[in-house]
Amino acid sequence: MVKKSENKEYIRPLERKVEALRILTEVSSIISSTLDIRELMSLVMEKAKEILSADACSILIYNKKTNKLEFEVAICGEESTSEMLKEKITLDMGQGIAGWVAQNQQILVIKDVKKDKRFFHDVDKMTGFETKSLIAAPLIGRRGLIGVAEIINPQKEDYDLEILSILTKHFATAIENAIYHSESLERERIKQELEIAATLQKSFLPENPIFEKGKIKVFAINIPARHVGGDLYDFVEPVRGKVGVFIGDVSGKGVSAALYMAKIISDFRYIARGINSPSEVMGKLNKVLSGAPRGMFLTAIYLIIDVGNGESVISVAGHPPCILINKDGIKVLEMQTGPPLGIIETDFKENKISLRSGDRLIMLTDGVFEAKNISGERIGFNAILEFIGENQNIENLSEKIIGHINEYSKNTEMADDITIVEIKIR
Amino acid sequence: MKTEITDFKGNKRIKITGDIDMHTSPELREVLLSIIKKSKNQCVCVDFTDVTYIDSSGIATFVEGLKAIRASGSRLFFYGLPESIMEIFRFSRLDRVFEIFRTFEDAFGI
Repeated sequence: MVKKSENKEYIRPLERKVEALRILTEVSSIISSTLDIRELMSLVMEKAKEILSADACSILIYNKKTNKLEFEVAICGEESTSEMLKEKITLDMGQGIAGWVAQNQQILVIKDVKKDKRFFHDVDKMTGFETKSLIAAPLIGRRGLIGVAEIINPQKEDYDLEILSILTKHFATAIENAIYHSESLERERIKQELEIAATLQKSFLPENPIFEKGKIKVFAINIPARHVGGDLYDFVEPVRGKVGVFIGDVSGKGVSAALYMAKIISDFRYIARGINSPSEVMGKLNKVLSGAPRGMFLTAIYLIIDVGNGESVISVAGHPPCILINKDGIKVLEMQTGPPLGIIETDFKENKISLRSGDRLIMLTDGVFEAKNISGERIGFNAILEFIGENQNIENLSEKIIGHINEYSKNTEMADDITIVEIKIR
Repeated sequence: MKTEITDFKGNKRIKITGDIDMHTSPELREVLLSIIKKSKNQCVCVDFTDVTYIDSSGIATFVEGLKAIRASGSRLFFYGLPESIMEIFRFSRLDRVFEIFRTFEDAFGI
């Protein structure tokens, strides 16, 4: 027959295991209940505080950029204390108990903090809280250290350290999953915003990329590198019998370039109306853009062509040259060029050219010849010129050039916006 | 990209190594503007010898620097531009905007 005392000895550890498993199940169900990182951390720490009958608990998150630990969650009696911790206290790696745990990635149980030299007294001094004992556990995910969880003044002492360690690992994975989730939500939000921005930006460009007036046909292709871009083009009729063709490239890329591009198109349309001189329009635009933020500037070409006789006047502001295709072959037009718009006060020169029936004039942005291949080599202006020379009689030349660039840049991310505008005299 | 700042007879010399593009130009902007902010009737000269590439966001950073330096009475100039970089400046007529010298000695007339 088993004595009563032996029975107790046998049952006690079993009871503890059952209790530990109950806690494990309970905390696990909290961990899987939410993907909201703040809610997750607060719920789990509240539970840990309750289970261990602790006075307070906190989570310090590791900031990779600063290599410091920052209070993210602090649950104690006073809300003002937790706000103070979040706002004012950061710990270096190795500093205090949390810093030691982060550095050594080991659980630490301290029964009496007064006897431990690693304890950082400043936090208690600042908050007025008295830390007597604590448990500090590192939170380590697949991407490495996430932070440190601390339970302050736990009253319960018969906890199972092994279960605590399993729970900490489980908790770290859950935090990491919540971080992934919030990052993917953020990525999706940005993607949606960029798609809207891209649609809006396209609405600033002419609705139809083909413009025809008399013998003149203008055709444009614009491909932004990253949803939105800083390249622009426009067709206007500034005065009767004339067509104005504008191409430009805003410095930089992405949303800032796109916003600036939208402003420039509006300014250009407003200024160009009624003016039969490209240099005058460029001069006025230069003044308007001189207050550009962060040194932003625009390289541009503005051409005004007479619909009746093909006589054209061109002003260039730091933009890559035009390429003329006529019966004699292809040639890069040598022109008097000014600096990009928005940098210095200057006058822009006018260049005259006569376009005859059958002539084609190609304008492009530098994204065309700065396209990179998989080895990072740029295609170069001369290679584009050569390609145009070989394909000069092809009807859809601009599309051919884009195809050629795509082939060259296969399996690489597009480095810059690409715009080609072609003027054709029938 | 790396930047190294040295003093030369009360003037500042910034040596840049690597690509100046949209990823690195924010760091260059911080360095350049903080030097310009502190400068008074000084020369801020940029050594381009080991610059491998510059894109329009890099050029915009220097344009911002140029606009800022005019107000302080100081001068911003470049030297040691490799041919490929010089071509970018010539191509866009920026050689008329910035003061560009062949060597450091040329810039200071020494």
